[in-house]
Amino acid sequence: MKTFKIVSIIGFISFATISCSPERATIVQGKSGVQLWSETCMRCHNTPSPADFNDADWSTIEMHMRVRANLTADESKKIFDFLRSAN
Amino acid sequence: MKRIILPLIAMFFVSNLVAQQDSKPSKTQFMIRGYGSAGFQALNDEGEKESSFNNGTFAPIILFKFSDKFMFETEMEFAYENGELETALEYANAMYTVNKYITIRAGKFLLPYGTFMERLHPSWINKLSSVPLGFGHDGITPSSGVGVELRGAFILNGSRFNYALYSTNGPTLNDGNDEPEEAGILHFDNYEDNNKNKSVGGRIGFLPFTDSSTEVGFSFLNAKVGDKDSNYKDVSSNLIAYDFSFVKKVNSLGGIIDIKAQYNTSVTDDANYIEVHEDGDEEEYTFENSSDSFYAQLSFKPTMSASNFLKNIELVGRYSELNTPEGAEWESNVNQTAFGVNYWLSWRSAIKVNYQITDGTGGHGGGRIDNKIFTIQWAFGI
Repeated sequence: MKTFKIVSIIGFISFATISCSPERATIVQGKSGVQLWSETCMRCHNTPSPADFNDADWSTIEMHMRVRANLTADESKKIFDFLRSAN
Repeated sequence: MKRIILPLIAMFFVSNLVAQQDSKPSKTQFMIRGYGSAGFQALNDEGEKESSFNNGTFAPIILFKFSDKFMFETEMEFAYENGELETALEYANAMYTVNKYITIRAGKFLLPYGTFMERLHPSWINKLSSVPLGFGHDGITPSSGVGVELRGAFILNGSRFNYALYSTNGPTLNDGNDEPEEAGILHFDNYEDNNKNKSVGGRIGFLPFTDSSTEVGFSFLNAKVGDKDSNYKDVSSNLIAYDFSFVKKVNSLGGIIDIKAQYNTSVTDDANYIEVHEDGDEEEYTFENSSDSFYAQLSFKPTMSASNFLKNIELVGRYSELNTPEGAEWESNVNQTAFGVNYWLSWRSAIKVNYQITDGTGGHGGGRIDNKIFTIQWAFGI
């Protein structure tokens, strides 16, 4: 078990290190709100319709979901700016 | 119970009334969301058959946002079981956003131990009407805790990471004094601590690909679990979980593939427990207190189909297993296979038709476990 844990942690760190690159950073940081909305929400549940809530409600849900789903601040802002603009 | 439900209903209508009267958004936001379910179940337990329309459940979530940085959230659960209305507080916590990378929470919160209980267990999100083995009642994984937590997410050179680090009252060890058949089991629902030690736990998640399709996570929880001033005061537990998620729209398959998996282990220090025989004699015994559980789930939704009906269909399969310590009164080796066809009425409401086979040995009865359950559940988020 101990060996498994050590190998897992080393593997995790190695994989994380290898997968980081400036080119990927440009791709990730350049994503639009609609792209992030279509990719991120469905990691747990179906993608919500922007029309289901008004701007104030989306702002409340934004903080709830940012914490629950562990979204970055920028991702969260882009997604919910899109939802507020499209409802 | 009316004392809880009636104020909730009143708050809902008053908030709507206020919102209608004043269209200018206020800085303080109040919202009731939540989810519920209702269904039918037919059970075949080793040849004994029974069927019933089963409990409707309702879990209101109240969100109170005081500012862009400060929020209170709570979820209650109401279920009608065995002729009585059962209530539970799933979580109730205040959260404060310190900066872009750190949010602090305090109170009762869902534990980021793997992803199933924190993110996937609500009935309108869970693709099957049951939870995998190892979770929930008689499970080996914690679902919530009372304490304090730091969490956040960041992007590092194109890879996403998220983290959570918390300290809670932690699990307690059932020493068997009151329930000899549960000696050595951990209980996770502790509003008050049974010792001075506080548990430390956390999770780190890593999304290696730019499309966020894949996430791997590692979780841990470590605590002393024995009652202070008892023979078990130095007994500790170490829980570890690994989780995996892959969700992606695959054009060649014409829909969304969703794979979830989680492996959990629980190791508690060896301790001596007392077995009371039928003639009243007591005998000391011990066992290696290690348990593990695992689940893997695959689902497919043909969202690119030309047919509106097929677009809303989802096929699900899940395998799970639970192994509890050999030599314990609650020793078990159980596996479960579940299949489902879901029809999504909207993005947050589904009719789920499930068939689940559970097979193994042990549990509280100590004998063979062999049951098959057919369920129809209507689950909805609000």
